[in-house]
Amino acid sequence: MKVTLGVDVGGTFTDVVLIDPEGVIHVSKVVTSPEDPRDGVRHGVEVALAAAGLDGAAVARFVHGTTLATNVLLERAGARTAFVTTRGFGDLLRLGRSTRIGEARYDLLFPPPEPPVDEAMTFEVSERLTATGAVHTELSAPHIGEVVARIAETQPEAVAICFLHAYANPAHEHRFADACRAAMPGVFVVASADVWPEMREYERATTALACAYVGPVMAAYLAGLQAMLAEIGVACPVQVMDSSGGVLSASLAASKPVATIESGGAAGVTAAGFIGQLLGERHVLSFDMGGTTAKAAVVRAGEPSLTFDFRVGGHASAGDRRADGLAVKTPVVDLAEIGAGGGSLAWVDRGGALQVGPRSAGAIPGPACYGRGGTQPTVTDANLVLGYLRPGELSDGVTLSLAAASAAIDAHVAGPLGIGTVDAAHAIHEIVNNNMVAALRMVTIQRGIDPRDFVLVGFGGAGPIHVARLAEPFGIRRVVVPWAAGVASALGLVAADPSVIEHHSSVIAAAVADPATVTATFDALAERACAALELDDAADLRLVRTIEARYPGQAHQLPIDMPTGALTRADLDAAVDRFHARYREAYGITSDAPVDFVTYRLRAVLPVDKPEPRREVPEPYSPDAGSRRDVFFAEVGIHRSTPVYRWDELRPGASITVAAIIEGAATSIVVPPTWTATLDTMRNVVLAAR
Amino acid sequence: MTAARSTQADDAVTAEVVRNALSMAAQEGGVVVVRAAHSTFIQEGADASAAVLDAVGRLVAQSTATTLMHAASLRESLRALLAEIPVTRMQPGDVFAQNDPFKGGIHANDIAVLRPVFGAGASGPHYFAGTIIHVADLGGGYAGGVAATAQDMFAEGLILPPVHLYRGGEPEAVVWTIIEHNSRTPDKVVGDIRALVAGATIIARRVEELLERYGVDALQHHVDDYIAYTETRMRAELGQIPVGTYTGSFTIDSDGIEADKTYEVTLAVQLPGDGTISLDFTGTSAQARGSINASYSQALSGVLFAVRCFLDPSIPMNEGCYNALDFTFPRGSLVNPNPPAACGGRIVVVTAIMEAIVEALSTARPDRAVASSGIVHLYGMSGGGGSSNGTAPWMLMAMDFGGLGARAACDGPDATGAFVLGGRGGVLQVEPYEAQYPVMVEHTRPRCDSGGPGEWRGGLGIDTAIRLLADAELVVRGDRMILAPPGRDGGAAGEVGYWRVEHPDGSVDELAHRQSHVRLAAGDVFRIGTSGGGGLGDPLARDPQFVVADVRDRRVSRDAARDRYGVIVDDRGELDEVATTRRRGVR
Repeated sequence: MKVTLGVDVGGTFTDVVLIDPEGVIHVSKVVTSPEDPRDGVRHGVEVALAAAGLDGAAVARFVHGTTLATNVLLERAGARTAFVTTRGFGDLLRLGRSTRIGEARYDLLFPPPEPPVDEAMTFEVSERLTATGAVHTELSAPHIGEVVARIAETQPEAVAICFLHAYANPAHEHRFADACRAAMPGVFVVASADVWPEMREYERATTALACAYVGPVMAAYLAGLQAMLAEIGVACPVQVMDSSGGVLSASLAASKPVATIESGGAAGVTAAGFIGQLLGERHVLSFDMGGTTAKAAVVRAGEPSLTFDFRVGGHASAGDRRADGLAVKTPVVDLAEIGAGGGSLAWVDRGGALQVGPRSAGAIPGPACYGRGGTQPTVTDANLVLGYLRPGELSDGVTLSLAAASAAIDAHVAGPLGIGTVDAAHAIHEIVNNNMVAALRMVTIQRGIDPRDFVLVGFGGAGPIHVARLAEPFGIRRVVVPWAAGVASALGLVAADPSVIEHHSSVIAAAVADPATVTATFDALAERACAALELDDAADLRLVRTIEARYPGQAHQLPIDMPTGALTRADLDAAVDRFHARYREAYGITSDAPVDFVTYRLRAVLPVDKPEPRREVPEPYSPDAGSRRDVFFAEVGIHRSTPVYRWDELRPGASITVAAIIEGAATSIVVPPTWTATLDTMRNVVLAAR
Repeated sequence: MTAARSTQADDAVTAEVVRNALSMAAQEGGVVVVRAAHSTFIQEGADASAAVLDAVGRLVAQSTATTLMHAASLRESLRALLAEIPVTRMQPGDVFAQNDPFKGGIHANDIAVLRPVFGAGASGPHYFAGTIIHVADLGGGYAGGVAATAQDMFAEGLILPPVHLYRGGEPEAVVWTIIEHNSRTPDKVVGDIRALVAGATIIARRVEELLERYGVDALQHHVDDYIAYTETRMRAELGQIPVGTYTGSFTIDSDGIEADKTYEVTLAVQLPGDGTISLDFTGTSAQARGSINASYSQALSGVLFAVRCFLDPSIPMNEGCYNALDFTFPRGSLVNPNPPAACGGRIVVVTAIMEAIVEALSTARPDRAVASSGIVHLYGMSGGGGSSNGTAPWMLMAMDFGGLGARAACDGPDATGAFVLGGRGGVLQVEPYEAQYPVMVEHTRPRCDSGGPGEWRGGLGIDTAIRLLADAELVVRGDRMILAPPGRDGGAAGEVGYWRVEHPDGSVDELAHRQSHVRLAAGDVFRIGTSGGGGLGDPLARDPQFVVADVRDRRVSRDAARDRYGVIVDDRGELDEVATTRRRGVR
């Protein structure tokens, strides 16, 4: 077993996890270099290698998590891109489709969404298909030549093509794309049917456009990364985490860059799934809380729940609707992300109600207790006042000031509400918890999933402080804080396998669906997956089949898991039964209506050898507290002297049966009075409800 | 909890938890309705409204995607339900449906579903869960309920007084059967109503959980506080609008029945500066024979939305908002008609109410001024069925948006229905429609020069062409086709909209703004032109570079740049500064 590296580049920090041949986990956390993230990657990798006493040649696998695609789209820093569509629809993207919800509806002065492509770079083509894919208006060779020549004059770096009904018949798009490639060598050409072969032209067009726009930037970045790694002796090919928790080759990531749109979020969810798998847990709820946001997601039987509705730069509202931003259709881990983090600001609104988030103090000035000029109280300030964080020096030179935290809370919360400092701090803590409970509810109960069957895995800088309290309202009795919780996303990169998701849509009544035909559909998807993964056959693949079903006449589906192998009538009937049950759970009503199968989806995973974290034999014992400090718990109602343990001084088997704080390098675990904590074989902290 | 902690702090936390939970319940219910609905119209973009109300008919929370036209209807419908069926006669598992425009409803196709929520031991009901959407066809003289030329409510579809859909958890079979037998598309309408029940059931379940967790009295206490808090904020904001009496009015093309008669909504707003506002619609035209009338709940929806556009948007939406308003809707007028007035086209009067309020409050707050806007153009096509060809009946309903009026210091967005669906914008998604109906869309594009010229330009209307692949019957419902959306403060009006039919032989029929039972043959092209928004301020004061950009983006033609803005754009698309200065000078 050789060395695996996971490198996750976030907005603030670049996290590196290295697992050595003995399974020992080495980590480094360095500041992200904004002008060229590769500088931070180089630095972080060098630090991790030095910590492990290894050189670059030992690295056999390098998996990268990157926010490049999102940054390029948000900053409009992509390739000069031409957009080509069917005649009559050149204004499709400019007119767009947008919805304003919630408060935004009362703002009559709102700025309209900026068109994603310039008028001058939009081209219409005479051709037309019908909804069955039949040709209504031929696409003529001379016409192709004439339009391609006009496109070439604008000197694009990329071309996105979206013709109406291309999902039903990609022939016109392919002919036009081939002509573009022939006439403009080196220009990146994307046909919509190749990236999202589904009905609804607006989302298919924006997805193709996003691919074209990001592709050349992604290709150049990854080539440069590979070259930089070679300089420090790392020769293995770079792989990239996609948005669904799978790993792509660099070339696939460059040709379909929108697949990486939620790379970092997927890495965290994958880490949670990996921890669950190591612990023998089938169902895991992933909870990741950092400085500005908290993310919740579900992993069932090792598979993250996915969604295909994503908007870049959109704002998810309480009801999980992303109403604005650029629509991108690609499988994405079904994250509920809310503005709740350590830096989230607490304030009293004009009606006298206490609010927490979504606004954040950010890295600058940061929480009031950092003493970097922040005067507004944050969640971190509240946690400091409650004793959940230790006053004094934190890592990287920051010193936490209890006096500054108290003063900020007094001035902005306790004073206006007429309550004490501690009560105010506790109110902030509870309100942010409540907001995060809503996010967890969104990915479970709202999807018809009972969270009580799950173990909750909490990580990120702020997650371990809050996670036990989030379990309580759901009746979740087991919570795990992984070792290296502060860099867990990078751990997810190390844990991920190469995988792709293929799908095919064709509506048929379940009652008349032929099991052999359904099996053949899944087999055809498996062949496509093999091609994408550059394999000869599916023998080495782990295949996960899903059918999306609905009642006839509906437009929204629910996914049903399907067994592998040759399907029988009984398998299909059982799927229909599962659909009825799932529908009842999600929508609260029963129906005996027939069921339609709509979309067949296959996730193909190529399991690779991964290093297992080292496991030590636990020796049950009751550790001595390194120190004590006064900590507030609601059950007690006042600050009371509470033991504080250092995580790195605890040994596997340590058992803590009183309210306590466990301090790690980049985080702090709160063990409330109603919970116990043990250190497992891999030094994860396992919290159990009493 | 121990005595060491103040109950005040507990209250602050619990209050916030309860408020969020109530909003989330409504939100979740709305999402469920859309996901379970059967109408293409709902699936492809229209939204559901969902709300939590209390047992005396107060609005407690509503979904953030609530269609603004529907906002007040659940509240008024519940009050009508309670008047007919007292809570003492309700039992757990009951679900009610109703759509009578004179009992809180809107028009036949907007069905409200209300479900009482009981506490432990079947106490209550303490709350109601409500959902509403425009459901699929429900009979009447017009397929899909696009009752463009109806002259009473009975022509608009089956009227349901409050009726049981479920009684004690059991479906009321006779009601479902009646609904099914009164629809041209029974499967779709039953599916839509089931979706409404699903949404109300999910909301009820969440509220039951809250009742269980906090108890009836504590929850009631938090709801009372939430409503009082909202009212406090409303009044604080209202008190900040400059004191005065402001007037506004808006004139409507016609009711589609009496072609030469125009209708006017007239308003006087009083803001005495003490946190109160009164809106008096005395002087508004008498109710119309045609279907433009806005029932009471609809007039109220329009008032609340338009007033809120001038207040802090973060104020929650609940009964506290209504408590802060004082309004007068004259009986027998367009804004409070007597039965059996036709009300299906109320969007015309509701938007006129909003325009009148926006005009009045734009005077009070010029920094938030908005000129008049285009309107949503709703149309329906139906065919199949019957003996002629034996194909299955089909019914397509869709809408296109007009341009928004120019705003203080910014242009109006193109094709955006700010007053209709809270800023919904965009064009028809072609592929799902072509996959389901015998139509082929030929183009959708902005109408050059349709935005009203001004220092700030009105948003453009759009032009859509739909070719029929089978014979069909068409119904259209629009406005702003005779009287253009006016500009403000020197800005010019936007362009009027149109409906027309182009026949294969080259002949063209111009349709009236409201017309029904129009026969279309396979091969005909139906053209929709939506109106542009009005301009704001003197067009000659518009930054010439903005005009150049408009010409480049085909929003304004070179001729209009010269004639309307006094800006000369040369053959290369560049500004001719000398000629522009000369032109603007001589004007």
